[in-house]
Amino acid sequence: MTSRLDGLAERLRVIAGAEGVITDPAELRTYECDGLTYHRATPGVVVLPESAEQIAEIVRACAAEGVPYIARGSGTGLSGGALPRTDGVLIVTSRMRRILEIDIENQRAVVEPGVINLDVTKATRPHGYYYAPDPSSQQVCSIGGNVAENSGGAHCLKYGFTVNHVLACEVVTPDGDIVEITEGPGYDLLGAFVGSEGTLGIATRITVRLTRLPETVQTLLAAFDSIEHAGGAVSAIIAAGVVPAAVEMMDALSIEAAEAAVRCGYPAGAGAVLIVELDGPAAEVDRQFAQVKELCREAFEIRVAAGDAERALIWRGRKSAFAAVGRISPDYIVQDGVIPRTALPEVLAKIDELSGDSGVRVANVFHAGDGNLHPLVLFDDAVPGAGERAEEVSGKILDLCIEHGGSITGEHGVGVDKAKHMPRMFTEEDLDTMQMLRCAFDPAGLCNPGKVYPTPRLCGEVPGRGTGVHPLVESGKADLF
Amino acid sequence: MDEFRELLDDCVHCGFCLPTCPTYELWGEEMDSPRGRIHLMSQHELGAPLSDSMVEHFDRCLGCMACVTACPSGVRYDRLIEVTRARVEDEHPRSRGERLLRAAIFAVFPYPRRLRALRWPLRAYQASKINMAPLLTRISPTLAAMERLAPPRAKAVRLPERVPAHGERRAVVGMLTGCVQREFFPGVNAATARVLAMEGCDVVIPKGQGCCGALSLHSGRSEEARSFAKKTIESFAGVDTVVVNAAGCGSAMKDYADVLADEPEWAERAQALTAGTRDLSEFLAELGPRATRHPLEITIAYHDACHLAHAQGIRAQPRELLRGIPGLEVREIADPEICCGSAGVYNLLQPQTAGELGDRKARNVSATNADLLVAANPGCSLQIATALRRRGEEIAVAHTAEVLDASIRGIGKELFSRR
Amino acid sequence: MTTPLDALAKACDTRPGEPEDGVQGVVPSYVAAPATVAEASEVMRTAAEHGLAIVPRGAGTKLHWGVPPDRCDLVIDTRRLGRVIEHTAGDLVVRAEAGLPLEDLQDVLAGTDQQLALDGLLPGATVGGVLATATAGPRRLLYGSARDLLIGITVIRADGVTAHAGGKVVKNVAGYDLGKLFTGSRGTLGLIAEAAFRLHPLPRARAYVTATAADAGRAHEIVQALLHSSLVPAAIEVDGPGPITVAVLLEGVPEGVTSRAEAARDLIGGEIGADPPRWWGRLPEGDVLAEVHARPTALEPLFADLGTAAAGADGDRLPGKARIRGSAGRGVWHVALPVDGAGEIVSRLRRHGSTVVLNAPETVRLDRWGPLPALPLMRRVKDQFDPGHRLSPGRFAGGI
Repeated sequence: MTSRLDGLAERLRVIAGAEGVITDPAELRTYECDGLTYHRATPGVVVLPESAEQIAEIVRACAAEGVPYIARGSGTGLSGGALPRTDGVLIVTSRMRRILEIDIENQRAVVEPGVINLDVTKATRPHGYYYAPDPSSQQVCSIGGNVAENSGGAHCLKYGFTVNHVLACEVVTPDGDIVEITEGPGYDLLGAFVGSEGTLGIATRITVRLTRLPETVQTLLAAFDSIEHAGGAVSAIIAAGVVPAAVEMMDALSIEAAEAAVRCGYPAGAGAVLIVELDGPAAEVDRQFAQVKELCREAFEIRVAAGDAERALIWRGRKSAFAAVGRISPDYIVQDGVIPRTALPEVLAKIDELSGDSGVRVANVFHAGDGNLHPLVLFDDAVPGAGERAEEVSGKILDLCIEHGGSITGEHGVGVDKAKHMPRMFTEEDLDTMQMLRCAFDPAGLCNPGKVYPTPRLCGEVPGRGTGVHPLVESGKADLF
Repeated sequence: MDEFRELLDDCVHCGFCLPTCPTYELWGEEMDSPRGRIHLMSQHELGAPLSDSMVEHFDRCLGCMACVTACPSGVRYDRLIEVTRARVEDEHPRSRGERLLRAAIFAVFPYPRRLRALRWPLRAYQASKINMAPLLTRISPTLAAMERLAPPRAKAVRLPERVPAHGERRAVVGMLTGCVQREFFPGVNAATARVLAMEGCDVVIPKGQGCCGALSLHSGRSEEARSFAKKTIESFAGVDTVVVNAAGCGSAMKDYADVLADEPEWAERAQALTAGTRDLSEFLAELGPRATRHPLEITIAYHDACHLAHAQGIRAQPRELLRGIPGLEVREIADPEICCGSAGVYNLLQPQTAGELGDRKARNVSATNADLLVAANPGCSLQIATALRRRGEEIAVAHTAEVLDASIRGIGKELFSRR
Repeated sequence: MTTPLDALAKACDTRPGEPEDGVQGVVPSYVAAPATVAEASEVMRTAAEHGLAIVPRGAGTKLHWGVPPDRCDLVIDTRRLGRVIEHTAGDLVVRAEAGLPLEDLQDVLAGTDQQLALDGLLPGATVGGVLATATAGPRRLLYGSARDLLIGITVIRADGVTAHAGGKVVKNVAGYDLGKLFTGSRGTLGLIAEAAFRLHPLPRARAYVTATAADAGRAHEIVQALLHSSLVPAAIEVDGPGPITVAVLLEGVPEGVTSRAEAARDLIGGEIGADPPRWWGRLPEGDVLAEVHARPTALEPLFADLGTAAAGADGDRLPGKARIRGSAGRGVWHVALPVDGAGEIVSRLRRHGSTVVLNAPETVRLDRWGPLPALPLMRRVKDQFDPGHRLSPGRFAGGI
């Protein structure tokens, strides 16, 4: 394999230039994981292309050699979706970060995949616009990565996910062709591509929808004695027919972490805080905001952000919560599960129970408006067995999500981390059907293999690409359909 | 070194530091980002030998500490890179050329008298167009830029050892005069002393003070840094508060507690000085204004020196002080968190990268259309002014202290003509 | 050997096809009406065994769209799959079977002051039919179209296998989003059996502001003014020519809607009303019907492209004249055209964006789909999901 990669590296240098190819072992290792460090694999070669044409050539070169390839943006994913392969090529888009066009009249912008999410907003805010999807990592994550993961964010409760804000993608297909895909006419390949976790091709140019900046934004922070009271307020808000831009909840432990990290100054002694944000026309927001304040009547303290600076402070605690947990625990697992909102009280009580029984601390940070939980399972890897216990608790939390009709991932993706959980949420037939799409795009299975699905569906004979019997077939782990 | 390993473990690989890192901005490579460099440090810590490529990536770090500001996990990258640089100096043999360059730099810059000695020969060299030695060629552009930007030597002010408070005394403070600041921008020191006095401070300016050790500390020359730190501690033994007007120096002095932590006879004194060190703007903001500000009709672009904004977390205070001057308008420079490329001696060691970053910063400064560039670090002002000149533009530069001084003394903005 | 009819009848209620069951004249041999997803699966499996070509049918409101199928042995009538499976108001989510008419679903949801924020365009249309054709009306501007509101789907594959994707929670990124793939697939990939949607609260107030534009240029200005305002309209529709009307829908709390409607009127002129214009949310009538997706700024050139086919200023709603109607805010328009010159106009429209001819007399020679850069990929998708090419064969782009 090594000699094959060496030869390929030479070819990649011709395509992307010597400066664009990394083969130094120490340098390669810095790419061994994305935002999820639990899974690591040093890539065989890293290449940093600067154009769609280069990516197409790289993909063709990999296909010709039968070498797998994985695309990566800023490397902030939390499911190991961009986990490299030691026998493969990692295609990093961090040098493709030009905003190619801003078309305010038509409320859209065209960007390269490496463009940082927040930079789209920075570039369009002077025109009164912004890019709505706002994952917590928006200051660093790339639009290409957002497309792969169908990233959400705190404000997707009202505004939807990446897929609702992408109008078109230029894609390098696993054939090495450059194709523009759209919502229609014909099949909505765009809808299927966004969120396919890099397994159907590589987005090289993305047309995103821009959203008008709201006339007014109102944000409040409500501190409750208990998470139950906070949950009650969320239900009341939704039942009242209010659609907030965001409803976020943090429990006592995650507040403690955020406080330690960014001194966000949340009310002391809170069992839970709720961040509720409304935006839109002033005439609507003012009215509904008064209603929301009334519905948070169980809170012992309500703070209303008087301006952007205070709003930023309220959000700072929430947005930094994941990384901040590093302050209160040497190691932790960020879980990402979804439940129907109405199941929140029951599931949170059960998580509490799980934590109590196992002695594993769990901090809860979540998008309460849409039932997307982010339990942070804390442990110290230096303590023997602690990692395994944390992993077990984390898995049981996912069980709870599935039992309540939810999902194993709301926004972090399946990646390599949760592929094993997919059969608990979907039947074998479901997974097989999904992978028909994979076979249509990538019959050779070289585009980010091993992600999302626990067992690859083999796509039958691939003309001209035979590289012998697939190792999985040979080892009896998979059958040819 | 367990502490080092623990510091490394604080990094959760979230990547929030990437877009604030100047070299990642330039090249988009993981190993030239803080996250990547920390990964390389871990590799070395876990046994991988220091390879040339590792050292290259460490050397390319500007030490701007923007990543420290951005990090939600509180990773002490400042400490990590400091320790790593010292390890590199210990363990990694450098080429002869590199060694000579570094030796030359550190034989000159921390020593005001040597800097002074070099000024005139340099002018002579330039005038005579004699082929300079390669080393001097590397250093000379910086010195030449200083020469160009610095006011004529005749105007240099000799500061007394004690400047008495004007009016009722509110505080007694020591004042660091620095190396480059003192030799090339004595006006800044004079302005600092005057502003402090006008605000009611007795200003103590110990004669024997030398370099604070910032350049050495930020370049992995830890022994040298310790020795400078001790001398500085001794110089300021008589005061509780030391006001510093150069961002790099202030940040180094605030690190003394760490630098001398394992020397029992010094640790406590180092801690005391660290606790007593204040940037000028930080100190003035805490003290509150008393002297009358006269109007100054001028538009300024305020540049966040990395060692002020990132290393010391001081952003609001200088802006607040400047906005307190009637008639003065403060404009923000785009991408304020990105380093200008000056970074201590970085522009000497990595001139090309420093130049690219300088060009970027110059573009953003230029876009503000301001009359005057204000920064709290002499290196930044030099770097940006030089980059602007490459674009065929000129801008007057000044230190926050000079602007305050001009306002308090009621002298017009003519002071800041493009020099 | 059992006959297909016998076999199908074992699976579910099946009868021989009648002329009125014809799909654009192609009369099926059988019509099966499964009452459960299991029955639907069994029918599909049986049809696969017998190699039958299948066309799914809901209320049949759009069955005349597209071209006739190459073959049609079996029509699967979904109307008995007409239940609301689950509606938890607190979750703002509903699951329904594909044969349920959209209006019936809305009635159920209205009972809890909720709605599926999707306009069906054609009365009687079923949930499955709306999905299969990706129809959406005026409110697509604010809420998106069917694909944006769909959160889970159950489909029956060509081989009879039942498969799910998505789920019943709004936020969910586990697995490929087959729901989106099936939205607009016109019955060529499988049978849509169930769907789950995210819901919205019913607005407590609505107001329409309707203005008339002297010409397309002025209409464009009005649309742009609304689009870049902070009014957050739920819909911005145009209808014209002769004259061109721009109507905007505002939804929200009563006080807010009143003040926003006034602000909109101040911005664009016109009148505030509680009811929409007559044409609101309905397809324009004409011999040929096309759907154009383009940038909002294409509005003016689109009108110009109608040329002499457009009615004059005094020729309001003349039969046989061209008409444009649709979401000027999103850039999705329906264009009705007379038979004469339709081909030429359609090719002109294609300069601005994708243009699909939804409906046209068989006698008119037209490129119905226009250029599709991703057609090779679409063929491969079709080959995977329906390798025997038995599902609505020939009805889709590129003869798929």
